[in-house]
Parts: sequence; C-alpha cells; structure tokens
Amino acid sequence: MLEKVVKWARVKSPWVLHFNTGACNACDIEILAALAPRFDLERFGVQLKGTPRHADVILCSGPVTRQIKDRLVRIYEQMPEPKFIVAVGTCACSGGVFDGCYNVEGGIDSTIPVAAYIPGCPARPEAIIDGVVKLLEKIDQPEKFQEPEQPVMIGGANLDGQ
Amino acid sequence: MEIVWTLLYMLVFPGFLFLTTYGMICEWVDRKLYARFQSRLGPPWFQPEADFIKLLSKEEIIPEAANPVMFRLLPLFALASVLTAFLYLPIWNTAAIYSFSGDLIVVFYLLTIPTLTFFLAGWHSTSLFATLGSVRNVTQLFAYEVPLLISLLGPALLSGSWSLSEMNQFFVERPILLLVNIIGFFVALIAVQGKLERVPFDIPEAETEIVAGSFTEFSGKLLGIFRLAIDLELVVAATLISVVFLGGSFGLHPVLGFILFIVKTLLIVAILALFRTVMARIRIEQMMKFCWRYLAPISLFQLLINILVKAWFL
Ligand code: SF4
Repeated sequence: MLEKVVKWARVKSPWVLHFNTGACNACDIEILAALAPRFDLERFGVQLKGTPRHADVILCSGPVTRQIKDRLVRIYEQMPEPKFIVAVGTCACSGGVFDGCYNVEGGIDSTIPVAAYIPGCPARPEAIIDGVVKLLEKIDQPEKFQEPEQPVMIGGANLDGQ
Repeated sequence: MEIVWTLLYMLVFPGFLFLTTYGMICEWVDRKLYARFQSRLGPPWFQPEADFIKLLSKEEIIPEAANPVMFRLLPLFALASVLTAFLYLPIWNTAAIYSFSGDLIVVFYLLTIPTLTFFLAGWHSTSLFATLGSVRNVTQLFAYEVPLLISLLGPALLSGSWSLSEMNQFFVERPILLLVNIIGFFVALIAVQGKLERVPFDIPEAETEIVAGSFTEFSGKLLGIFRLAIDLELVVAATLISVVFLGGSFGLHPVLGFILFIVKTLLIVAILALFRTVMARIRIEQMMKFCWRYLAPISLFQLLINILVKAWFL
C-alpha cells in the first residue's frame, strides 16, 4: 500500500534538472520550449529545478565531451536516489554527428546509466514530452518495458541478411 | 479531558492536520492561478501532495561539511513555529483558541522564525550558493519587517488592544472602521509577499543567479518539511491579514464564519498570485530602497491617519 502511494507520488511529480553535456544548443532550446507555457510540462507535475539535490530526472543534451565527463559524474552523484537520466537528442543517445571526435566520449550511456532515450536532431518538444511520459510509465510499470534479449528483426530479414 | 481537547486542537483542528491540508490546497490554488494567468493548464489538484510524498520517500543527503544536527532540526523548527502561530489566530469566530493581550506581537515574531531558520539552514550547509542565499534572506528581513509591523500596528492602535481576538471583536462591532486601514492593507500584502519570498521579492532563492538559495543543499525529507512550512506560512500570513484588515469571520455563526475564513484567505492568496504573475524579480538593493523609501513612510502615514481618527471619532 505504502509502496503504491510512493510510486504514485514519484510518477506524478518528476522534478527535472537540465544539463548540457556538450550539445550544439539546439536541444537545450527545445527542452526550454517544452518547459515554457506553450507546452506546459507542469500539468504533468514537471518542474525545472536549479540544483541536483532537488531533482529526480536529469535531462542531458549532447554528447559527453572529455571536459564535461567528470562534472557529469559529479552532478549524477550529487542527486539523491532514486534518480533517472534522460538522454535528449541524437547526440546524447549515441554521440550523433560528434561520435568519434578526439574530444568526445560518446553518448550519455558511455558515462552514466540512462533510463530513456529521446532521438531527434534536435528532439522536438513533443518528443521530449513523449519521452518523459514513457519514462514515467516505465517507473510505474517496469514489467511492460522488458528489454528484448534478441535483436528485433525488422522487415522479415534476419541478421545474415537472408 | 482538558488535555484531550488541547491535543485535538494542536493535532487535528485547527492544528497540524487541518493546516497541512489547507496549506497544500492554498499552494495548489496559487500555482493553478499562476498557470492560468499565463494561459497554461497548470498542475492537477493533487500536485502538492504528490510533491510532498515524493520528497518524503527520497534519499536525504547531508553534505560532509554541514552540521548534521542543525541540518536535521531546522526544518522542524520552521514547521513548529508556524503551527504555533496559527493557534493564536481567530478562525471560525472572533475568539482564538488561545489568546492573551499581546499575541499580535507573538504571532508576528513566530512568523519571523522560519526566515531565521532559512538563514541558519543556508549558513550551515556551507555551500557558496546557500550562504549567499541565506545572507540575502536576512538582508531582506530588514526590508519588509518594519513596514509589515507598522502596518499591523495601525489597526491595533485603533482598537486599543494588542490581542488579535480583541482587535477582531472591535472591528466586528464597528466594521466601518475597516475602511480606515485600507492603505495599511495593501502595505501588508506587499510586505507579506516579501516575507514569503515570492516574486518580485524571491531574491534569496533566485534560481537564475544562486541555484536555489538557502535550500541548495537540502534534499528529501528535510526539503519536504521546509516546503510544507512555507505553505503553512502562506496560510498563516493570509489568515493574519484577513483577521486584522478584513474583519475575519465577522462574528457570524461558526459555520458561516469558517466559510468566510476560507473565502478571505483564498482571496488573499489569489491577490498574492496576481502579484507574482505581473512582476519580475528585482535586485536586493532595489528592494531595500523600495521598502524603506516608499513602503515604510506609507505605513507611517497610515499610522498617522489612525491616530487622528482615534483622536477625533473614538
Ligand atoms: S542532437 Fe542535433 S541538435 Fe541536439 S545537440 Fe546533437 S547536433 Fe545539436
């Protein structure tokens, strides 16, 4: 019972921290657009917080650069449990166009565990809202979001291309 | 038997249980109105409860450099002082549950304690942002406290009593005199906005400059209790203004008086939300200037009016 209430509260009130790990700034603008009155994330209980101590979710945008890596880990460790990371934008998911640069580590998951990926270059506010809502569903019913063990086949071809 | 009633007053009504519920409702009304003024949808009605339960269930981190005892105790002090203040305010009729001559001053200083705990909380977390926020907290205290106290003294002077219950009784018998205090009412509204640290006076927790002010290092339960204390402070401040300037329950039947209490406090919350929407944050020295140069003289002017009215008409 108590657990259910706590889970309900957790799903209804995700406070986010916005952290730019090296994005080209387009994803950041989209995150801010999602938080602004037009899209109004507060109707889902989302509030933007200034400090990692208050936040439950970090919205990370951009690839992890060598310089930001230590800071990202530090911010992550400053957050109280339970905490979730959302990678916003193609760069944050995989490194995107910056993958393989001399100063880039890769996606966010090269450094800290990620709970939800939102692709897009930049990810639109609708996509960000969709991603955050999916993350909340995942917190609510984890069994619905089992990761597939086998690679998923698309279009009938198997891995050998036959 | 006596002790049962005392416990009931303190824990259920109008104490802890009622006040926390009503405080959360007020927070929701405030946030919803704020959202509607910006033509947004706004949070659902259970938002403050969800926030509070979530914060209670989160891990609490106490920084190594901080003082753990102070860190744990300060939120409780803030909560306890506002809860105590509420017991001295008349709610459903003109008599408060506990009252003695001079409780106006006691309530006023009990409402100052949360600000001091915010200051100590920031100071003890030893983080740079928190320290800066807490210093701003106290600086701001000196700006709004004097106009607020002077504007509350106006009605006290008129009624010739320092007790909230007697003041309320006096104004219920002579409602026309409430009109005399109209300037003081607006001064008190503005000063209370500063006391509650809301826009345009949210200088201590300016998130664009100093992260989250005094609360930067607070997380989990401790932050939740602080937020609850701020909600309750909103209710207590709104009730104080409604009792002193709007005649409280007007001495009606308790049920009607209680409805009047709800209507009046919500009205004050709505006015405060409107202030919050139409204004932007000002700088700390602008606030000092505004409070000392305009607000304090205006409240003194109100005091002068009250003295003259008392000399000629009473
Ligand atoms: S995904 Fe596109 S828009 Fe976002 S940071 Fe990368 S390059 Fe910029």
